[in-house]
Amino acid sequence: MKLSKLLRVALGATVALGLTAGAAQAEYPEKPITLVLPLGAGGSHDLNSRVFTSIIPQYLENAMIVKLMPGASGQTGTAAVAKAKPDGYTLLFTHNFFDQLQQHVTKLPYTPDDFETVVRLNYAVPSIVVLASSPYKTLKDMLDFGKANPNTLKFGHSGNWGAVMVPGALLLSEAGVQATLIPHKGGGPTMKALLSGDVDFTMAFPSVIGAQGDKLRVLASLGTERTYKDVPTLKELGYTPSVGLMNRVVLAPKGMPADRMKKLRDAFTAMQKDKTYGSMMKKLGENTELMQGPEYEGERMEQSKNYEKLVKAITSK
Amino acid sequence: MLENFMMGLELAFRLDTFAMMAVGLVLGMVVGALPGFTTVMAMAVLLPLSFFLEPLVGIPFLIGVYKGGIYGGSIPAILVSMPGTGASVATTFDGPALTRKKQPRKALEMALFSSVFGDLSSDVITILCIGPIALIAMKIGPPELAAVLFLSLIVITITGGGVFVKGLLMMTLGLFISLIGQDPIGALSRFTFDFFAIKSGIPLLPMLIGLFALPEILLAIEKKASSVMNEKLDTKAGGRLTWPEFRRCIRTMCRSTAIGTTIGMIPGVGQVVAAFMGYAAAKNASSHPETFGKGELEGVAAAEAANNAVNGPTLVPLLTLGIPGDNVTAILLGAFVAQGLRPGPQLFSEQGSLVYAILIAMVMANVLFLFIGYFLVPLFAKVVTIRKGILLPLTVVFAFAGSYVFRSDPMDLIILVVFGVFGYLAKKLRFDVTPLVMGFILGPILEYSFGQTVTMSQENIVGYIVTERPITLVILILTPVITYFLWRKSARLRSAYGVSEG
Repeated sequence: MKLSKLLRVALGATVALGLTAGAAQAEYPEKPITLVLPLGAGGSHDLNSRVFTSIIPQYLENAMIVKLMPGASGQTGTAAVAKAKPDGYTLLFTHNFFDQLQQHVTKLPYTPDDFETVVRLNYAVPSIVVLASSPYKTLKDMLDFGKANPNTLKFGHSGNWGAVMVPGALLLSEAGVQATLIPHKGGGPTMKALLSGDVDFTMAFPSVIGAQGDKLRVLASLGTERTYKDVPTLKELGYTPSVGLMNRVVLAPKGMPADRMKKLRDAFTAMQKDKTYGSMMKKLGENTELMQGPEYEGERMEQSKNYEKLVKAITSK
Repeated sequence: MLENFMMGLELAFRLDTFAMMAVGLVLGMVVGALPGFTTVMAMAVLLPLSFFLEPLVGIPFLIGVYKGGIYGGSIPAILVSMPGTGASVATTFDGPALTRKKQPRKALEMALFSSVFGDLSSDVITILCIGPIALIAMKIGPPELAAVLFLSLIVITITGGGVFVKGLLMMTLGLFISLIGQDPIGALSRFTFDFFAIKSGIPLLPMLIGLFALPEILLAIEKKASSVMNEKLDTKAGGRLTWPEFRRCIRTMCRSTAIGTTIGMIPGVGQVVAAFMGYAAAKNASSHPETFGKGELEGVAAAEAANNAVNGPTLVPLLTLGIPGDNVTAILLGAFVAQGLRPGPQLFSEQGSLVYAILIAMVMANVLFLFIGYFLVPLFAKVVTIRKGILLPLTVVFAFAGSYVFRSDPMDLIILVVFGVFGYLAKKLRFDVTPLVMGFILGPILEYSFGQTVTMSQENIVGYIVTERPITLVILILTPVITYFLWRKSARLRSAYGVSEG
């Protein structure tokens, strides 16, 4: 059993390296599908995609190849997929901030309407963290201090208009706190800045927080349900809860034939029952909350409106 | 600690661990040697394979790919002056010159031995001093990084060959080119003229291949066709490395290892700077600096030992804090996590023996690396025995294909050609393009960390550094002192030997 799995993955890797082509089949997909990531190697999208692209070939009967196209805050890879033929052989694996927020802060060579959702693969909920040695025991402690001492709190985030900066800036503007926002290149450097005391607080995903053991204190979680049993959510504390979720989504250029879209969605749905997929995602510390494309499309519309308001709120101060 | 170490030793000695490590090393070398494929890409593609292996097999396998890949990059750098990554740029100073002297095998062996030497020593240092290294890594924040980078830029410009002002000019140009695209902090477009293709900036890989490989090809074409077309090296591909030659380089390798290990402790600087610093230090300390850049074995040893010595310490923040310092360690983090292991303080206190086992596996990987490399080098060296009339067009194909596969963007081919022509003209006018590359690579990191420092200081940068950042202060005070000494030394060399070519 184990060996056959190994062989399957090895085969997948060989295909991914472009050494062999899939056997010719009459129906879609008759050749490997390219999955573009507008992000660099090693991040959470990369890890997630490595897991599902090594398993989904069993349900698609062809390989899915990851292609990393980082650059210009995700615009390079996104633009490439926007230009691709809607034939189901080029897909985009991205998140809601690239997809819906960027249009409100910069000029893009495409619009979010150039894409439609195949599925939302899963989502991740960040939490607000400080050092365990920090004087702030609760979120209120910290925000009260920030209100009394403008521009003193240092908020470390993982890059402008990213998954940490956006909910953090929104919270600060809602609470009426003037803080110093310090950008870092990704979540790793941000966590290091927190650990070495260069910043006062940041946000992080559970897999990152778990690894630090008792060095951190979680003040609050985003989302509507508690991530940690004894830590309140922002909603419970009276703040806007939903913008902070990071949805990992698979998008396709608009205009893809319906039967191909169905085949893709069916493959993703069938994969949810795969034991290996479930256990590997669990090990990564990710959930497997699949959401079907049509349902997520409604959320996309909602996100766009929220982000527009949000950007106005953050930039107008 | 000792108990954990002994248990780790027991865990690491397994046949399947060794076998997969060997597979990883070979794969890494092949991928590293192919221009356009980076070590990170190879590791990302092979990552899922490690999910299905035991932790002590899967992770050493990826470490093998990593080590093999860093060495693999030096192979095309030596043979056809085509650096696959920034880390092997410094190897192109002396490597191709040795190949022209019909000593490619000697150069490849020197690169192998010095890589293993640097890697092995830095791994051993890492195991012995994992605590202090972790502490240093924590102390280094954006202000320290900015100060170190500033010092590096100055050192590289002064110690480079040729006229100082020309070097400075090239450095400035490199810094300027690095500004093109979105600024790293505010994501505003600079010098892009609303031209989307360069919005993400100029990509490094096509630029490197353009600057270093294309001019070599153009220069070869320039020579009389007859001498090029029929030129063929003897089938033995030159002599082997001799013991006295190796012994002569030991001091250089030790120096480079010290430099590489130190740089590895500073998150975010990496192999590129280490290789240049190692090379510059070797040239500076040498009694015959005029031979550097003209096929000096010591030059190859200096660069290769330094860039491999970075490998050990870069794993420390990952293992002790759970924070990856670069893309390679980020992928390793993924491999750990997929095995249900979360690197960080907890893993270290709960499963110390496993952490040591992985560190020990790294050391063993180096020994394996030496043997595998030793048998593969003659094969690689055979490349130059191909007739020039075939090898040159083949190099052109690899240069273009390599630039394209990196991002699959046709724009990169234009960048390749532009920098190829630029590199050729620079060579003709005796400008050294190295400071340009360094400015280009270090510029964005310097800008970013400086920007962070300014934000962190909350508009009182001098006060902030003096009161809260003692390490930065020391580096900044030392900078003019080091500059003065290096300047005096290089001025003396210039008057003694005249201005060197290039």
